[in-house]
Amino acid sequence: MSDTTAFRVHRFKQGDEAPHHDRFEVPIGPRTTVLDALTAIRRTQDPSLTLRHSCFHASCGTCGMKVNDREVLACVTNVRELGSAEVVVEPLENAPVISDLVVDMGPFFARFNAADRPLVRESELVPGSHPAEGVPYAERYEDCIECGICVSACPIAGTDSTYLGPAALAAVDRVAEEPRGADVPFALRLADDPHGAWRCHLAFECTEACPSSVDPAGHIMKLRGSLIGRRWRRTPAEPVGARR
Amino acid sequence: MNATYRSPAPHVVIVGGGGTGGALALDLVLRGIRVTLVERGEITSGTTGRHHGLLHSGARYAVNDAESAVECIEENQLLRRVAPGSFEENDGLFVGIDDEDMAYGEKLFTACGETGIPARWLTPAEALRLEPNLNPALKGAIQVPDATFDAMRLPLRWFATARSNGATIQPFCEVNELIVRDACVMGVRGRDHRTEKDFEIGADLVVNAAGPWAEKVAAMAGVDVPIQPSPGVLLALRGRLCNMVVNRMHKSGDGDIVVPQRALSIVGTSSWVVEDPDDLGVPEDHVQRMYAEGAKIIPAVRSAPFRQAWSAARPLIGSRGASTGRELSRTFKCFDHRESDGVEGFVTISGGKATTARAMAETTANVVSGKLGIDAPCRTRDTVLLPHTAYYAA
Amino acid sequence: MTERAATTDRTPARPARRRGIMAWVDVRGRRLGGWAFILNRVTGLGVLFYLYLHLVILSQLAVGPSAWDSLLKNWFLNPVFLVMDVVLLAGLLIHGLNGIRLTLVGFGLVVDRQRAMLLALGTIGAIMLVIGVLMFISHGG
Repeated sequence: MSDTTAFRVHRFKQGDEAPHHDRFEVPIGPRTTVLDALTAIRRTQDPSLTLRHSCFHASCGTCGMKVNDREVLACVTNVRELGSAEVVVEPLENAPVISDLVVDMGPFFARFNAADRPLVRESELVPGSHPAEGVPYAERYEDCIECGICVSACPIAGTDSTYLGPAALAAVDRVAEEPRGADVPFALRLADDPHGAWRCHLAFECTEACPSSVDPAGHIMKLRGSLIGRRWRRTPAEPVGARR
Repeated sequence: MNATYRSPAPHVVIVGGGGTGGALALDLVLRGIRVTLVERGEITSGTTGRHHGLLHSGARYAVNDAESAVECIEENQLLRRVAPGSFEENDGLFVGIDDEDMAYGEKLFTACGETGIPARWLTPAEALRLEPNLNPALKGAIQVPDATFDAMRLPLRWFATARSNGATIQPFCEVNELIVRDACVMGVRGRDHRTEKDFEIGADLVVNAAGPWAEKVAAMAGVDVPIQPSPGVLLALRGRLCNMVVNRMHKSGDGDIVVPQRALSIVGTSSWVVEDPDDLGVPEDHVQRMYAEGAKIIPAVRSAPFRQAWSAARPLIGSRGASTGRELSRTFKCFDHRESDGVEGFVTISGGKATTARAMAETTANVVSGKLGIDAPCRTRDTVLLPHTAYYAA
Repeated sequence: MTERAATTDRTPARPARRRGIMAWVDVRGRRLGGWAFILNRVTGLGVLFYLYLHLVILSQLAVGPSAWDSLLKNWFLNPVFLVMDVVLLAGLLIHGLNGIRLTLVGFGLVVDRQRAMLLALGTIGAIMLVIGVLMFISHGG
């Protein structure tokens, strides 16, 4: 069954006055993903198309983009399942565009890195398993793949350019949940800011859009709960800033 | 971006932004050499980013390729020191399902001893206690120091550290032409796809680290580097079916490894050969083979929800004529084209595997330094790397 | 002839793509929580505007009984006005019930069930709206 789908792709090169969209027809099979289609465009129709990708399996987080107005990872987005005659592909929101579908992740990481969350965390044990002798616990990577999809989906990130953002705040809460040597008070102070955890207005778009089950909004709310709890437990006789 | 003026520190251009290119950029800048790396896409967007993330203990090669095995175990231990916090360090198992496996296991255990790979036998009960999802009919297992690493994020640490030490990393810059004059490579020309304008970079030496595309780049200098792109299919399933890497205790074959990675389980891999590394395809029968073979070591593979199936092309060195790619060597090779083809100023590094990228870079950097008359030792064995997050935020 | 590339890898030419204040009303691609976010703002402004109107109307009481009676006859019992009352009730219910969810979840309580809570409150709100409309109809007739 020969099938093609039309793709309308956001194009922009540095020096351009404004972006525009280019239209491409791409042959699509049952397993074809948006990333497959875009790399096919680059290979056979337009080698000037720039896009980020690396792992092809939702692990590196580099292929985040907006497909038909929704943030997704292109490598796991099946074209046929989108069910539209024309697929519109645009870069993530709330990030500077370098070219075409490539955004500058600098501002994202500037915030994310401030939380200083370690990359590796304790792993859930497979039910019924016991770690090897001498091994206190199994470990695995954190869920967050730093794709920037949550920040793109967040309406607050759209209006407040200094908002810490869902990814960084989720990272702060992970530090509070599982410190592993990180500076918990520092991380919490970072979040306890008008442009930190208090800026969130509970749209929960970040949690719905996240491709890696991080639940950033859930983390932000838990963070709020623990920040309030910490203030509450400080007795009136104790000066603010006293160390525990 | 430079013309060819004389300066005290020589300038090397690396073509190819995969793990090898990144590790090489770091090695060279730490020796005081100026580096510009150009990559046509996002860094690690070639083969490097796509593998299953196995940090080899070397056991997979111990029986048939002792040289590779020793390379692996050395890098395995070294990388944990220079890139701490970048691995799921849960060890690995080789699991024997039938008598043939167990016979291979005897050879494997001996070979591990000979190549310096820590190994210990486990009874089926012990193995199932560690990993309850293993095939309950297993006959025995060997525990080895396999680990998981993130295929993109570990190399990103080389790039981040190289950049902070002065290397210039230019993604989305595609080299179309090598500047060759009197059988000497003097630089590269290409197009910066961020601006859609051409660029030209002069160099004292150009390194071809383009992985499966190395043959294409070498041809730009008129030299032939026999690279046979050999893809394999990988399958990502939702759910963490094991914490340890699980291998089949037999000679290398399809679908004989399950690598846990974050919240996924990666089953791999297969092998065939292609001509064009840009057009690999994902053969459906290979995907089904991943399910079938993977289920022999972890039955839950059969019913785990599908996340994705994709292909990655190994850059195997060897002549044409191989039929599956498994016959070609997995070690790496560094070609000084003055010796092999009479072309000065041009070096190609290819072959190898992700676990040994740093070692490949060290060998190449030794060759490059020698050619440039730079007498500086390799420092990547001891330099602790910046975190991967420093790459984009720097 | 070739040109030197004019940019480095650190210079984006355009500022970040931000929807700005239009994000508050941009429904493209929105999921459940995003709709609640938008509706909360719209109803918040709407209810605020109603409050202003309400005060203006109530100030007519100070003018005297005939002014009030005329308002009653020509405005309050007008079917159009009753429809607007339904809109007002819907706005109050949306803002109030979602507000309960925002307050609880925003303090870090009931976070894991927030989506279920949103759907439950939405259902309660729909039922209350229907009851309210029925009450309007029965009293108005």
